[in-house]
Amino acid sequence: MTTRPNEPLLVAEDSNEDFKMLQRLMQRMTVQNPIYRCTTGDEVLDFLYQVGDYQSPAIAPRPSVILLDLNLPGIDGRDVLERLKQDISFKEIPIVVFTTSANPKDIELCYQRGANGYLVKPMDSSELEKTVQAFVEYWLEANTPPSVIS
Amino acid sequence: MNLTNHEKPIHAPGSIQSHGMLLVLEEPELKVLQVSSNIKTYLGLQPQDLLGQPLSHLIDPQQAIAIGQQLTGENTRNPLKLSISTDRGKRYFDAIAYRTADEAIVELEPIDSPNETSFFSFHAAIAGILSQIQSTSSLPEFLQLIAEEVRKLTGFDRVMVYQFDPSGAGCVVAETKRADLSPYLGLHYPATDIPQPARELYARCWLRFIPNISAPSVDLITLNQQPVDLSLSILRSVDACCVEYHRNMGVAALLAIALMQEQQLWGLIACHHYTPKYLTSEVRIACKFLGQLASLELANKIRQQELRDRVQLKSLQSELIESISQASNFVEALIQPAPRLLSLTNATGAAVCLGNEISLVGATPNLEEVRSLIDWADTQVSDNLFATDFLPQIYPPSVEFKATASGLLLLQISKIRRYYILWFRPEVIQTVTWAGDPNSSFQLENGSVSLSPRHSFERWQETVKLKSLPWQSYELDSANDLKTAIVGVVLRKAEELAQINQELKRSNRELAAFAYAASHDLKEPLRGIYNYSTILLEDYAQLLDLDGADCLQTIKSLSQRMEALIDALLRLSLLGKAQLNLQATDLNELLQQAIAVLFASRPDAQMSIRIPRCLPTIECDPVLVSEVFSNLISNALKYNDKADPWVEIGDRERSGGSPILYVRDNGIGIQAHHHETIFKLFKRLHSQEKYGGGTGAGLAIVKKIVELHGGRIWVESVPGEGATFYFSLK
Repeated sequence: MTTRPNEPLLVAEDSNEDFKMLQRLMQRMTVQNPIYRCTTGDEVLDFLYQVGDYQSPAIAPRPSVILLDLNLPGIDGRDVLERLKQDISFKEIPIVVFTTSANPKDIELCYQRGANGYLVKPMDSSELEKTVQAFVEYWLEANTPPSVIS
Repeated sequence: MNLTNHEKPIHAPGSIQSHGMLLVLEEPELKVLQVSSNIKTYLGLQPQDLLGQPLSHLIDPQQAIAIGQQLTGENTRNPLKLSISTDRGKRYFDAIAYRTADEAIVELEPIDSPNETSFFSFHAAIAGILSQIQSTSSLPEFLQLIAEEVRKLTGFDRVMVYQFDPSGAGCVVAETKRADLSPYLGLHYPATDIPQPARELYARCWLRFIPNISAPSVDLITLNQQPVDLSLSILRSVDACCVEYHRNMGVAALLAIALMQEQQLWGLIACHHYTPKYLTSEVRIACKFLGQLASLELANKIRQQELRDRVQLKSLQSELIESISQASNFVEALIQPAPRLLSLTNATGAAVCLGNEISLVGATPNLEEVRSLIDWADTQVSDNLFATDFLPQIYPPSVEFKATASGLLLLQISKIRRYYILWFRPEVIQTVTWAGDPNSSFQLENGSVSLSPRHSFERWQETVKLKSLPWQSYELDSANDLKTAIVGVVLRKAEELAQINQELKRSNRELAAFAYAASHDLKEPLRGIYNYSTILLEDYAQLLDLDGADCLQTIKSLSQRMEALIDALLRLSLLGKAQLNLQATDLNELLQQAIAVLFASRPDAQMSIRIPRCLPTIECDPVLVSEVFSNLISNALKYNDKADPWVEIGDRERSGGSPILYVRDNGIGIQAHHHETIFKLFKRLHSQEKYGGGTGAGLAIVKKIVELHGGRIWVESVPGEGATFYFSLK
């Protein structure tokens, strides 16, 4: 199975170290998809609504899947999730939560708000690799995302 | 009111009805003092023939002795059969003899033969009624049975059971009648229809019989006597007012039997006939007996009915209390389902008021009206339980909502907290159908009100304005019981709350201790990580390539960041345990020091500080407040991208209360949706690289300090132009 290299992945992650780790792992798995990164909740919304610093589709294309951290600066990841899932034009974009929080309340809340998956960031690096591998294989390779509306 | 229609007292009219004769006697010789003038019609005698004579002048000695015995109570008031010789032969009479205060009275009613009893068997008439009465289960069923039995006994066209309410107004509660007559069942009659003296006579005599209401009355002829008291007389003439009243109704013959309960006139069995109708004394005795029997059983049936009502009410209450004590939402439990709260006091509407929160149930005035009513009650009502069936009289604005609340029952659960339950009843006019316009029984004559019998008996819905049905004592009890129950529930909840509070305090203390200890212990391995990374970088730099050195640098900066986070946590947990060291503090001095310290650690900072006017001296913990200022000013410095950044510190107009201080800048500002979240621990609005990073603990610490002082902090901002943080310190 091959990745569909043109489909953009949006990563909402405030920690540079975590993002660097993710990038390294994805490089190792030869992920070809363009990866976009936002570091705050406000940025994620700006990116999707193409406002503020993200006014051109060239800088901010519509992502086919979003990997979302919960504890984001600015608007919290939980609220970003709710906003996107309540917006008719974005609710179909798969959102996978990627967070350190293994709190059952968070898991429950995120699925209530329409999350498509919930991945806990493990401490152990080989565990982390397995998790990222699973994400890539399912969401970037096996899964068919909704067709991108022009 | 001047009731001018009765020229003579109703109990001593000085005349009788024409279907019998009456003699007033003087004991012990039984000398005739007064005699009815119709003695001529019945006996062919002139009154003068008898006046001053002993009774034996009229009847034979044996019969006179029997009369004497009845007077002394040796014989009860069963009629004696008398025969009197007249010039037209022997005539037969039923005779009743009794004493009044001053005289003895004998009343005679003609009968066809001395054996009349044989046509009517008292036993046959009464037998069976008793067992039937006992087998009826409800009060209405019982009253209906009584009405039917009386109609069977008397053959009257219409027999009604008429019940008085506490105001004296009456209502037809049972009725049986000739099929072609229009029903009176359910109609109400004003108290004036049966004046108080008439009611007293009913209560004394049990029975009132008028065979022909239109027959002219017969005067009592007397030598020199005052009108005698005819209260106990069965022949007493009919009051003119009563005659006209019944004639207007089309009634020709009338029989009324008293229904007594606990020595009070509870009601009447009222019998109407539309042509003159005579009843023998035996039938009347049977009727009277039936009335007495019914009165006895009435108390029973009322008690049973009340008991049933009470049991029902009690189960309603306990159901309500059960759900209150289990519910988390107290008001919800009270008002859902709505009929339960209403039937507790037989109200049509209710309002539950908890402080400023008012919930309405059923038919009520609107929210504003209820609010004003409670405001009024707050100052005017001191009783825990207050009931009125005439609210507009004491609270005139309620005229506006008389249709829902002419009656008010107010239960005060807590005056301090303004916890009330209010029940409403509508104006009675909405629910009562009167027989005829009761107001028409009053006529104004030369400025005085007089009673006059009504002419119209058409149904009429008018009279008692602005009043509701009265609240019964058991309904008030029910409200009181509810209060007791609620107080019990509230007390239990308060107890639970106190316990939870205690646990919360303990766990809060533990948490602060934990955070402090944990922070301390966390720092130790952290120092190790930092120090060992430093050793690697310094002593083994030649073994690492650029990437490796970069990774080690990241470890160092991450461990520094973690230390900053732990320090913030430590600071907050210490604040949680802190005791305020309050003292009068000159804010100008405090601010100067804080600014000096701040700029000492940031020598390159370019920012102008504006203090437009002298700051006050206030009571506060100077060390902590200094921390507030340096945090806010350092934020103003950090989040500013203008060419000429400035920060302004001042206080807003103090109007009596504690001053409101502010720190204003011309920085990047904060969007409205972040105005609350910025005060959360470790909450940041920007990524680490921007605006010099930070832990996101500063404002959380500031907020904690302000709240420790009993104050409040908030922000106002125009994004892109600047922000102003306001805070107060009590």
